[in-house]
Amino acid sequence: MQIQIQHLMPIPLKDKLLQRTSGIWNQDVTFSPGSFVKIKAPSGTGKTTLVHYLYHIRYDYTGTVLVDNRPWPAYNKNELATMRQQHISVIFQDLRLFEQLTAAENIHLKRVMLPNPHCSEDKIQDMAARLNVTHVLQQSSKTLSYGERQRIAIIRALSQPFQWLLMDEPFSHLDEENTRRAAALIAEECKARNAGFILTDLDNDQHFSYDVHYQL
Amino acid sequence: MRPFFELLKKIIHTGIGRSRFLMASVGLGIAMLLILVAIQVHSNFNQLLYSTKNQNETADFLVINKKITNAMMGQNDKSAFSQAEIDHIKAQPFVQAFGLITSSRFRVVVQAPGDLHFATDMFFESVPDGFLDVKGEDWKWTNGERIIPIILPSDFLNLYNFGFSLSQGLPQISQETVKALPLQVVISGNTGSEQFIGRVAGFSDRISSFLVPASFMNWANEKYGTTREAPTSRVIIKTPDPSNPTLVKFLDDNGYTTNQDKLKFSKTRLIVQTIVSVIGFFGLILLFFAMLVFSMFIQLIIASCKKEIQLLVMLGTAPGQLKRYLLKQFVPLYIIIGVVCLLLLTALQCGTAAILAKHDMAVSPWPGAGVFAGTVLVLGLVYLVNLLTVNRYVNKES
Repeated sequence: MQIQIQHLMPIPLKDKLLQRTSGIWNQDVTFSPGSFVKIKAPSGTGKTTLVHYLYHIRYDYTGTVLVDNRPWPAYNKNELATMRQQHISVIFQDLRLFEQLTAAENIHLKRVMLPNPHCSEDKIQDMAARLNVTHVLQQSSKTLSYGERQRIAIIRALSQPFQWLLMDEPFSHLDEENTRRAAALIAEECKARNAGFILTDLDNDQHFSYDVHYQL
Repeated sequence: MRPFFELLKKIIHTGIGRSRFLMASVGLGIAMLLILVAIQVHSNFNQLLYSTKNQNETADFLVINKKITNAMMGQNDKSAFSQAEIDHIKAQPFVQAFGLITSSRFRVVVQAPGDLHFATDMFFESVPDGFLDVKGEDWKWTNGERIIPIILPSDFLNLYNFGFSLSQGLPQISQETVKALPLQVVISGNTGSEQFIGRVAGFSDRISSFLVPASFMNWANEKYGTTREAPTSRVIIKTPDPSNPTLVKFLDDNGYTTNQDKLKFSKTRLIVQTIVSVIGFFGLILLFFAMLVFSMFIQLIIASCKKEIQLLVMLGTAPGQLKRYLLKQFVPLYIIIGVVCLLLLTALQCGTAAILAKHDMAVSPWPGAGVFAGTVLVLGLVYLVNLLTVNRYVNKES
């Protein structure tokens, strides 16, 4: 599945962004299937905005985002739900877990959204063990530290089938060891699915062997 | 889908405003019961009026004629039915059978035998045999027979026995005696006269007239008739339900009249129908409000979980999944209400049937098909309104 952006420009940031050059904004960019994409962006250049545009939860832009050669607005609500259940997964910067659910339930919610879950429960346990969060699974997500929540959000994103994984500063609150483990897990899961990812972050990093780098 | 709904239960709280929801449910129950009662009473009434078990109570024969008003006195043809009017009456849905009453166009003199010294001018009429309540072997006449069977109105003998004979010091006569008496009947016209022996074959409560077999009437009219064709001024109809308000209205509208006693049930029926309609109407009003509360309740739930619903959709929950989940929270309750109402109504109907049976009125102890159809209809309507509300508000948030 191919994601393509054409002259994409956020309306609220337009004036500011037109004064600088960007590898993404107002350009034609194609993210080819299966590639690991890193987008480096200083604060305030619309990093989160871009992820939201790509995931189609914000619409205040000019230009087009084409998914499978179809612009996002051409998808109806049911098709959009199918895309989000089976083709595009996301790790939000603000994580967006349900506070009224436990950590495990937050993951299961995404897992059982499909009538035939992609991952077994054992697989979830494995992932939790690899990210050192097994002990917090039964806790309410409200009581977790930000770092723990971040790892739960990562596992949640990996519990579904996808061809693209969108990540918005996914390791911002993890120490080096946990970052390494999480990155390894993500790379492994992407390879297993032949999926690609788009990762936005503030700085350069060596967590993955990226195929493409962009400057926002 | 089940484990997903289990999780949704923790996210979308349907417990909010539970007491209001329960009250609306009770309202729905009462509304449904009222509507079903109205339907069932209507069906019971129909059973009482039309079912074969109760047939003898209601199916009736009405002799219809035009009202004689002062304005038309002296103009006999104005009281006659035209062919168009006859066809119009025949075409009415409440007319099961229709017959013309043929009157004699010859003169009739009847004399009692022996020393009773009773002689009177008379007339005869005839109706098709199907309209007679007196049937017997004797009721026939073929050309050449000297004996004519005659049917008298029951009231005629009563008038004589209890009015005339007592005041005149004459003996009272039993029906059997009258039947045994041979009457001398002389019919005459422009072409001569002929003498017959009349035998009373029976007494009719149905038609207040002196009746002879149609075969005799035709023959005698042909032979001794003084005018060519007598206009029809009275007709007889068989109707399944003389209390039918449309029948009464039809008669009034056309200036026809009949035995009013037979129509009096119509008023009672109109009152009962009105009451039943009012009950049904209140049921509908109540149903409307119950549905309104349900809609508002659904709206409240969705509004109070707006953020959660948006996040669920963001994570890929299909609007269809949310709708199914929400409807699943309500629909089982509606079905329970429907079943409870049906059970209550069945109990009521059993009781009603038992009470009516004591008065020799037969109604089915089970609710009619209309009641089941009504339940399905009401539940369908509530479901539809819920579906539309859920659709509308989920689509708004997703």
